Order: sequence, then structure tokens, then C-alpha cells
Amino acid sequence: MRPGPGGCCCRRPLRANGCVANGEVRNGYVRSSAAAAGQIHHVTQNGGLYKRPFNEAFEETPMLVAVLTYVGYGVLTLFGYLRDFLRHLRIEKCHRATEREEQKDFVSLYQDFENFYTRNLYMRIRDNWNRPICSVPGARVDIMERQSHDYNWSFKYTGNIIKGVINMGSYNYLGFARNTGACQEAAARVLEQYGVGVCSTRQEIGNLDKHEELEKLVASFLGVEAAMTYGMGFATNSMNIPALVGKGCLILSDELNHASLVLGARLSGATIRIFKHNNMQSLEKLLKDAIVYGQPRTRRPWKKILILVEGIYSMEGSIVRLPEVIALKKKYKAYLYLDEAHSIGALGPTGRGVVDYFGLDPEDVDVMMGTFTKSFGASGGYIGGKKELIDYLRTHSHSAVYATSLSPPVVEQIVTSMKCIMGQDGTTLGKECIQQLAENTRYFRRRLKEMGFIIYGNEDSPVVPLMLYMPAKIGAFGREMLKRNIGVVVVGFPATPIIESRARFCLSAAHTREILDTALKEIDEVGDLLQLKYSRHRLVPLLDRPFDETTYEETED
Amino acid sequence: MGGGSADSAPPIGTAQIDKGGCFLETTGVKASAAPQTGRASVAGRMNVGVAHSEVNPNTRVMNSRGIWLAYTILVGLLHVVLLSIPFFSIPVVWTLTNVIHNLAMYVFLHTVKGTPFETPDQGKARLLTYWEQMDYGLQFTSSRKFLSISPIILYLLASFYTKYDAVHFLINTASLLSVLLPKLPQFHGVRLFGINKY
Repeated sequence: MRPGPGGCCCRRPLRANGCVANGEVRNGYVRSSAAAAGQIHHVTQNGGLYKRPFNEAFEETPMLVAVLTYVGYGVLTLFGYLRDFLRHLRIEKCHRATEREEQKDFVSLYQDFENFYTRNLYMRIRDNWNRPICSVPGARVDIMERQSHDYNWSFKYTGNIIKGVINMGSYNYLGFARNTGACQEAAARVLEQYGVGVCSTRQEIGNLDKHEELEKLVASFLGVEAAMTYGMGFATNSMNIPALVGKGCLILSDELNHASLVLGARLSGATIRIFKHNNMQSLEKLLKDAIVYGQPRTRRPWKKILILVEGIYSMEGSIVRLPEVIALKKKYKAYLYLDEAHSIGALGPTGRGVVDYFGLDPEDVDVMMGTFTKSFGASGGYIGGKKELIDYLRTHSHSAVYATSLSPPVVEQIVTSMKCIMGQDGTTLGKECIQQLAENTRYFRRRLKEMGFIIYGNEDSPVVPLMLYMPAKIGAFGREMLKRNIGVVVVGFPATPIIESRARFCLSAAHTREILDTALKEIDEVGDLLQLKYSRHRLVPLLDRPFDETTYEETED
Repeated sequence: MGGGSADSAPPIGTAQIDKGGCFLETTGVKASAAPQTGRASVAGRMNVGVAHSEVNPNTRVMNSRGIWLAYTILVGLLHVVLLSIPFFSIPVVWTLTNVIHNLAMYVFLHTVKGTPFETPDQGKARLLTYWEQMDYGLQFTSSRKFLSISPIILYLLASFYTKYDAVHFLINTASLLSVLLPKLPQFHGVRLFGINKY
């Protein structure tokens, strides 16, 4: 049990699975009683698995807000029924697709109720999504202005372009979304040499020397033996998980996994069991049950147990508890598939992702998957691991056999940006970007919490969800922010649980302190206007709380 | 995750289509209610851009934080509004509360079928009422118990406040039965006389 950096290791009773019981235990989560006492004490838990504090918080919805949210949805539903009735009576114009008169007597083509939500809720605030941009989505972006005269059923472009909108929605973590600079020049050179299209799959004639160069670079970046790249991040997950597991295998998947992981798991034919989000007790219980009871009826042992987790969950902003997952994986001899779509490049002192962030050994993760879309400003995905694994995937993966390989200019963009991050291009630009991102993250999150908003997720995650809760505030927030020249992404039900609609900010190394300050000022203003400051824990400014606890709060505070 | 499967494959029914321009009811398209073994590959809109891997978000709504309180407050509000109408006596108000509550519950929980948004489960829930969708068909969960007990509590209160008068008793009991019977596990997926089948 190593003590953490700069702190002492308190003696606490050890439990069977190595977790340190530290004060009261509520619902299986350990709550540090030191927090209540307000001591600034560096407490290491879990036998010293974590070398740094792990602060994650998901503050519970205030009860009044929850009730008002339901009232909001109820009112919207009632008005939806009213409007549908008016449309039926032809009092109100019906904009949806309907059948021709001659077809009315046949089986209906359109399901009416299934579009209720789209018709009556989504359409009303539709102008917050699918906004057309007309410049490179860096720290600032140009948005085409549009107007609607029929309540968002159709849009017309006014011809204006809103210039210089602060972009808080792009996954541009290290600021590589640019159209000038070294990456762009290199990509332009390769474009002239290789052209744009590859026109073939990896196994046929689409395996360029650029791909081999990229794969060696990715393998050295991640610290694994070999890597393989694919043209599309979504397809990396959905086409490779079926190659790795099949019938008779067990997949333990996190509750909030991305659609690509879910699709891949379903396509594989394996049994899927879901554990609660980032909850190691739930995962351990599932593992124990799987090993003790085996397959459902025959009780045979599972052929493989694969744990699917993500590095950063993009809707919650939470970081996976990787040290504990690896400890569990080793104890129960399962395999780990880590999807680092959002965390590669964005976490860790050298930008190598969540493995680097926790200071772990990349060899412990069996399959390291990631995408180049977010931090590298390109497109595509990769899988890294042992050489036998990658050789197997080269022949057995659907993407390798059927999907076109990465386009050469994109490959060059990835190569240049990766070399920049690793420092191999001779500048310190990569290191500065990583540090800038970490500073921006800390600063932004701290300021928002001080203002009194409810922010989900880990202290270090560059994805910042700000809770809005009520359906009307979703639309209002998006529009007010655009009026103030800031572009944000808002999400509501059914994409999130019904009471947890949120606005999601994605921070970038390209954001300077001034940009963040401007954004924070506007968010403060809009927060006061819309009364979004729900948090009951006002952070005292500049008080550092180096506790590694995750506060899952119950109704009693 | 039980599929909430309704019954054996229903026969192809006729489509009830409005003569007006826009439709009011989900009709016509026969969704196969047979549970899929293994994992059906999901096509179309696939939870893309969503924050959870829940196939049908409708199933979780009644378990969310604060919804029981919101429901109770709503019933209380209904009662207070009825109380404020000067013509109605207390027994009438209570019977009306009971009847309106049960009617609303019957309509929203046991008549309206499907989901108001597209789900990636390829229409498994399209023929299921909201009660049948709750918790993917798992019986005796706490939300189901709550929603079964609340009309009973209202009934007891209404019986008390109407002083067990015969006419009120008949109305209240009929109303209670209409809302309790569909909740029984034996009635899961049952459609009497083909009413509300498609």
C-alpha cells in the first residue's frame, strides 16, 4: 500500500477484496468521513491503486426541480395532444408526411404515435441542432444564420453568417481542427502524391505504406506491440467486437456505453450483461456470478469474459475507474476492451489517454481501442494490443475485409498530429497543448461550480455536462447562448434520462483564457436569467479538496 | 430484460384509418411480438447520440427520482380544483376525483400503446400499453406496486367521505375495478374482444 504523493496513508480496515473501508458505507459506496470533518488529508483508498485523487461527482437532482420537470413534460404532452387534435380537424396546418387520398384505405404507411415526441417537442426547439457551419470548427466557428416562419418546420437562410461564435461543442480537445499549420501542409503534400480515395479494402489493394507507417506510430504512441487502423471510429467498435467474441462468450458492458459498443456487442451474438455506470461493486458481482454459475442453462464455463468500458463517457464526463477494473480483470481472468474515443490525447501528462492518466501499464489492457476523430482532428479508429491479436484482426475483422481503408491525407494528418503530441516534430507544441487543455479543464469546471451550476463528471475530464433538467430550458439555453455568440450542444429526453437534460461543453486546447472568460461570463448571465444554478454545494473559491471519493449523494446530504 | 412479449403472433388486422388528413391512432402495421432470441441486429436509428444504452426509455420513467411525488401532487391538485367548484358537495367531489383519476389512469396507462419516440427495438413495444412496457414487463416492481395501490387508497378515501352511500359505492367500485383489472399479471397483453389490439 503505497501512500499517495504528498500525503499519508491512513490505516483503515481492509476488506476482502482489497477495498479500504473508510468511514460509513452507504449503498456500497464508501464515503469518506474525513470529508465531513473538512480535513485536508490525502486519503488513499483501495490499497493504493490510485496514485492521484479521483474526484467524481454526480449531484442528485433537487426534488423540486424534478417535479417541475415532470410538470413541464406533462404540459408539453397535453399541448401535443391538443395540437394533434387541431391538426386532425384541419384547423392547424399539418406539416408531416401523410399519404395520398387514394392510399388511405390500405394499411397505413406512417406510424402516428411514434413521431409524437418529434412533432410536438423536438420540432419546437429544433433550431438548436444541425446548425450549418461554414468554417473550420476550431475555437471559433462561423454559423449560417437561419430563420423559420413556420415554427421550425422549415428553415430559410437569411444570408448572414454569424462570425466568430465561440465553439463549445466540437470534440477538438487538442486544437488540431485547423486549416493552417504543419498538419495541413503535410496533408496537402500527401494529397498531391496519393490522391484522396483508396478505392479498396486493406486486404485487397488498399494497404498503403502510409497505413503501415501510421500503425507503427500508433503502436509506439500507445505503448503496445501492434496496432491496426480503420476508416471509421464507429465501425471499429461495431465490426471488431464480433471478431473477438461470439456465442458462448460473456460481455460485461457499462450502462452508458456508446452506441457503437452496444451494436458491436449485439452483433457478436454473445450474452450481454450490463453493470451500473462506473460501479466496481456491480462489476465484481457480475464477474463472480458469471464464474460461479457459468452459462445460463448448461452451467458450462464461459469461453471468454470481455469487459467493455470507455475512457471518458462523453455524456457524463466521467472517467472510468481503470485501476480497479484492471485489478478485477486480473483477479477473475477476464479480458478488457477499453474504448478511448474521448480520452486519447485528452488525458494524461503525455496525452496517451486514460492509461497514462492513471499511470498504469498499457499491457494490462487487452484491447485498446480509440478514434482519431476527437483529439487528432482526423477521422477513423484504431485498435492496439498484442501482435497476435492484431494479426488475428487483420484477417478476421469485417472492416479489414470489407471496408475501405483510411484516406491518405487523413492518415498524414493523424501522423503529423501524433508526432506533434509525442514531441517528435521537434517542437514543444504538443506538450503545451496538453497542458493548456488540463488547465482549461480545471479552470472551467472550477469556475462553473463556484457559480453554482450542477456539473457532472470527473474533475479532469474535458467534457463538461451542465445540467438543465427542464425541457423548456433546453431550447432556451441553446438559443440564449447563440444570441451571445456561443455555440453549445444541448441534449434532452429520450437521449438522456427524463430528468437529466443537459448542455455539454467540450473544452479545447485552442480555447484561450480570454475565450473561456467570455464564455463563463455569458454562461453566468444566462444561468441567472434561466435560473440554472441549482447546486446546493457552493464551492468556496480556491479551496482544494484532494479527496479521492466519488460522491453519489443520497437524499440526505 | 424480458421482452414484454404480448402473446402468440396476432393475426393481421385491418387498419383503422381516419378519414381526415392526419392520423390519431397507431394502427395497421403488424409488429411481431415474438421475443427475439439472441441479439437482433439493430438497424435504423440506433441510440446514436444518446447518453445510455436503454432500449426503451419509457420503461424507466416511473422509476425516476421525484415522479411519485409529482404524481401525488397532481392528484392532490385535481382534488383541490374539484373542491373549489361551489356546486359539488364533498361526497361528489371525492367520487369525481376517484373517477377522473381512474379514467386518466386507464387512458394513459392502459389504452395508449407504443412509445412517443422511435426506439431501436424494432417495434417490440409498439403494441404494448405503457403498463405493459414498464420495466420491460417485469411484474411486481415497486413502481407497479405504487401505481396499483394509489387507486385503492383513493377508493378508500372516497368511500369514507361519501359515507358509504350506495350509488357512490357502485360508481367508485366500478371505476376501481376498471383500473385494477388491467394491472393484474394475468392480464398482461390481453385484449378483450379485440379492443385496442392494434
